[in-house]
Amino acid sequence: MKNIIAATLLALCSSAATAHTLWVLPSHFVLSSEDSWISVDLSAANMTFVADRGVSPNNLTIVFPDGERHAFAQSYQGKRKSQADHQLTMDGTYRIELAGPARYFTFFQQDGQRRRIAANKQERSAQLPANASEVLTTRSRSRALSFVSVNAPNQTALALSKEGLELKLLTHPADVVATEPVRWQFMLDGKPVADVQVELSREGELYRDDAGRELLSSDAQGYLTFTPQEAGRYVLEASVQLDSTDALTDRVRESLTLTFEAALP
Amino acid sequence: MRTLLFTAALLLGLSLIAPASKAQELTISLELPVIETAQYYRPYVAVWVEDDAQQSVRLIALWRKEPDWLKDIRRFWRKIGRSETELVDARTGATRTPGRYQLSWDGLDDAGKPLPAGEYTVFVEASREQGGRSLQRQSFQWGGTAQHYTQEAMPELGELKITLN
Repeated sequence: MKNIIAATLLALCSSAATAHTLWVLPSHFVLSSEDSWISVDLSAANMTFVADRGVSPNNLTIVFPDGERHAFAQSYQGKRKSQADHQLTMDGTYRIELAGPARYFTFFQQDGQRRRIAANKQERSAQLPANASEVLTTRSRSRALSFVSVNAPNQTALALSKEGLELKLLTHPADVVATEPVRWQFMLDGKPVADVQVELSREGELYRDDAGRELLSSDAQGYLTFTPQEAGRYVLEASVQLDSTDALTDRVRESLTLTFEAALP
Repeated sequence: MRTLLFTAALLLGLSLIAPASKAQELTISLELPVIETAQYYRPYVAVWVEDDAQQSVRLIALWRKEPDWLKDIRRFWRKIGRSETELVDARTGATRTPGRYQLSWDGLDDAGKPLPAGEYTVFVEASREQGGRSLQRQSFQWGGTAQHYTQEAMPELGELKITLN
């Protein structure tokens, strides 16, 4: 049973094709005191911010306002949620990121069975059995992100890596306010990507009949625009699956969650 | 030298904008209500003016203590507090006990320059530890005729009275 859960969580970290949503939830999004500590919860669950399964904090990092990436000072993997703490020693915006490297799998049919090997398009020919058919290589990756600002926000930690699915945060996360429009842009490997499917959910689903989730998608230029109606904490969950002409893969599967707060107007 | 230039600019500005008439002034009368609770802490309060693009042009008053809770004066923090450290320090005053307080605005921005006539909005925001947050706002026409407004009481703020002479 333990192995099944471990395998499930591994899959969660590498694939969008699962019911559970992986998120990071910082104790604060906005701080006004120097050298504040931040505590971050990590969990994978169906209901927004109702923790279900603690995930490994091994791939959790924090990018400081100067662009330097740090491991968390301490972390703990719990049954329902994991937690990590770090001290924020400078002013500006920090990026909290739970993300591993992209993983490549090659799927194929052999003797009537569907099988897979951990190999990219260049590695696969040496490993595939001679009678393999319907060969398809996928690159998959998931990221869970959140941003915290101490005193004046800045832009450095918002910079894109140009690898995989990312959000260009045209509206700074510290400027998201209930009833005011937000404009972000989805990028895949550094280029705008259309038709990214987005589900937007708000905390407190357990205590209302209508979860009120919004289904959105990015436009032809990758832009996502929405107006959070209520102040509170939200999860934006996005995924995209596309055929690729990349040298290493036939298909790209990417997912991203962003936890953010809409402030009171 | 800086002061001299500043004074000269101010005189020049005044002579252009308010020729020979008495200076216009906005009077803000706010109230911190008496709140019956087991553990009462004085609220943190900010009073400021925004222009019609919702940009703060003048911080009038800031009554607060620890920096940790400044962020809880939510709109003030986003519009001014998080980025205008020197201004925040310059305007900081002690927290106040319940009662009615009168403040005024002379039409100058934070740098002491006169602002053009037009629509502005005065904001009063109060946030109390182990209590709530209230935000009152009132738009007015600076440079217009005499105006008088009242905003109804909210949990953390009594009736707000705004007068433009």
